Amino acid sequence: MERRFSDEVLAVAGIDLEVAEREIYAFLGPNGAGKTTTVRMLTTLLRPTGGSAWVAGHDVVADPSGVRRAIGVALQEAALDPLMTGRELMLLQSTLHGLPSAEGVRRSEALLDRVGLTEAAHRRVGTYSGGMRRRLDLAAALVHEPRVLFLDEPTTGLDPVSRQAIWKEVRHLNDEGTTVFLTTQYLEEADQLADRVGIIDRGCISAEGTPESLKAEIGGSHLELRIAEGGAERAREVMARFGELMPERDGILMVLLPHGASDVAPIVRALDDAGLAVESLDLVKPTLDDVFVAKTGRHLEGEAQHEAPGTAPQEPPVEQAAPA
Amino acid sequence: MSGLAADLRVIAALGRRAVNQAFRRPQFLAPIVVFPTLFLAVNTGGAGRAIDLPSFPHVHGFLDFQLAGSMVQSTMLAGVSAGISLALDIEIGFIDRLIAAPVRRSVIVLGRLVATMVLGALSALWFLTVGLIFGAHIQGGVPGFLLVVLLVALCAAAFGSVGAALALKSGKASVVQGIFPLVFVVLFLSSAYFPRDLLLQPAETIAQWNPMSFIAEGIREPIAFGMDTGHTLKALLGIGIVGAIGAALSSWALRARLRSG
Amino acid sequence: MRKATNEVVRVPGAAIPGILAPTIFMLGLTSVFGKLTLLPGFATDEYMTFILPVSLMQGAGFTGAATGVNLARDIELGWFDRLILAPPPRWVLLTGTVLSASLRALMPITVLLIVGFAFGVNFPGVGGLALAVLLSCAFAATAASWGVMLALRFKTQSAAPLMQAGIFMAVLFTASYAPLELLTGWLHDVAEINPVTQIIDAVRQGFIGNVTWGDTLPGLAALAGLLGLLYGLALRGLHRVGA
Repeated sequence: MERRFSDEVLAVAGIDLEVAEREIYAFLGPNGAGKTTTVRMLTTLLRPTGGSAWVAGHDVVADPSGVRRAIGVALQEAALDPLMTGRELMLLQSTLHGLPSAEGVRRSEALLDRVGLTEAAHRRVGTYSGGMRRRLDLAAALVHEPRVLFLDEPTTGLDPVSRQAIWKEVRHLNDEGTTVFLTTQYLEEADQLADRVGIIDRGCISAEGTPESLKAEIGGSHLELRIAEGGAERAREVMARFGELMPERDGILMVLLPHGASDVAPIVRALDDAGLAVESLDLVKPTLDDVFVAKTGRHLEGEAQHEAPGTAPQEPPVEQAAPA
Repeated sequence: MSGLAADLRVIAALGRRAVNQAFRRPQFLAPIVVFPTLFLAVNTGGAGRAIDLPSFPHVHGFLDFQLAGSMVQSTMLAGVSAGISLALDIEIGFIDRLIAAPVRRSVIVLGRLVATMVLGALSALWFLTVGLIFGAHIQGGVPGFLLVVLLVALCAAAFGSVGAALALKSGKASVVQGIFPLVFVVLFLSSAYFPRDLLLQPAETIAQWNPMSFIAEGIREPIAFGMDTGHTLKALLGIGIVGAIGAALSSWALRARLRSG
Repeated sequence: MRKATNEVVRVPGAAIPGILAPTIFMLGLTSVFGKLTLLPGFATDEYMTFILPVSLMQGAGFTGAATGVNLARDIELGWFDRLILAPPPRWVLLTGTVLSASLRALMPITVLLIVGFAFGVNFPGVGGLALAVLLSCAFAATAASWGVMLALRFKTQSAAPLMQAGIFMAVLFTASYAPLELLTGWLHDVAEINPVTQIIDAVRQGFIGNVTWGDTLPGLAALAGLLGLLYGLALRGLHRVGA
């Protein structure tokens, strides 16, 4: 699937993926990677300019109505009218999906209860907190019992407690048989929730697999060190003798450990022999950020975007997507 | 449920939502009710002696003559307000909720137009009531009263389609809001407030061709003069012209928006 | 005062509504009601000459009311809290705000005068023109005091229609469309007691005749009274912030 906004802007540069029924699939990538554009194409909000896609057995271009009947969507910006009450929104959503009145009322009340919004249902959405809005958005996406649920960055901007509540609900839904396609820029979210993760960067999938297999692919742990001022250059030379250097972040040097924890002592001894003082030291197990770094040469998390030596991006650079 | 019945149900639900929105945002009601009423009061009191001008049509009172202008002003502003509300729906992403639902694309706009018709009818009731309280006579009686309400409601829907077109094209409430001054330009260049042949040039010439003149005169006739088929048909023609332009532009803008996501 | 004036320089588009609306109204009302001058007792045979002073007051009034809307926005955004903590006394803050409104009102006033003269409005003489401009600018300060008072009372931009409606009624519920003697019904009674009628008459006198103390003093007195009252209420509201 491909989406081009203009000659210069190729937001999604040819994505091939398959999500099995009852799977939770997470699209992980930074802002501008093409996650939202992909979701908008799959949910028929945007036409692909190339390629094809089927959702729940329906072609997104040839049979968008079939797709819309089968999916529930909770987008990045909770598309809620602040002047409506929570209950009014649920009833409108049920009408949009063709539910008879009585059934719509029954399901709406059940879902409001499930997401803990019964007490607030009579209040206008404009008075809700961020977490309440997300929960309402999720409930609205479920009113017609969709087979596939699309969640675009469902916990961005939420506090940890609200985030956990959303995760719990997503797992519950999946247990009940709903296929979930979610996009996120949070490693922990992909790690915790997803059966499989697709790492997307600059409109392409850089890697795909279960969280464990992706992490295993790039090997074992790495060591994070902070060296006393003036010693960084020399320290890099020493560390490079033991393993591949990783991109630095906030002045912290990092090196992959081919043999795991047993590499730590030799490295520390070598640094000491070189007269370098270690201010702090952490042994870190691989994360999805490490996978992202290995595939793209950049960190997903944090501000530093240093290129790892000898690592080039896997796809030709394209312009960042216009916001969908 | 059949396709048509389902569509009507969705249109009614979206219409209900839009009417609720108007009443829950008082600052949106101000241009539809408050300012046209103030304008009616000032026009009637300030220019009321116009009925003494030699070629002014014979009317019971200047208020009877003015009511149509206020109603037309109100419906035009209601159309702009409907456009602003739709643009706000686009800005906050609410329209994505409608597009992602299995409903016909046209009902997204039709729901809003139905609401604008309802608001138009309510504004007609308001002005007719205010007029009656302050001494106006409705020469056309009850049929005239009902005809006025119907014409104003249709007029509101026609202008609502123009507002919707602007909203769908621009996606920004500030752009739609920017045409408020244009509403008054169109009204001042018509016979909404004064007889055509008593306007100064070039307004008099423009008013001869301005669809707003036909609409205003069609609404005025049952109030100030009595029922007249010719004026009613011309009003419907004027409404039809505006509505056709609005519908065509809305349809084109909606297709463009759906294509570009 | 500099902050308020800078806003116009940085965002000139924001000033357009305050200029466009009165200009459209002046041209539009002339097109529509221009033949009212045929009525016996009308002070001039050029309607635009008659209505231009009303438009000057409208332009100045809406510019002043916009000050209140901007303050309400500043209150909502929290910028006002910083302003209140500044060392200068509050009367200085208020005076700066209303004076800047007077200054900003020169934009719509200038445009309206240029358009009016281009369409054949009588030149009121240097004295008449200066008086018209001065009174209009002072009315802008009055409208700004009104807007500030409401902004401090309601603390929300939703009060904007109330600010604007107040100016609308103040300016138009006067001998705006026609001389007082030709007004009908309740508008005649209201215009008789509305102090803004005196101000409009004072602004209008040079355009339709000669400037006299007899027509000037009542307008000055009305303006001074309104400005004093509204400025006082606004200052009281300002003193109550954080009390």
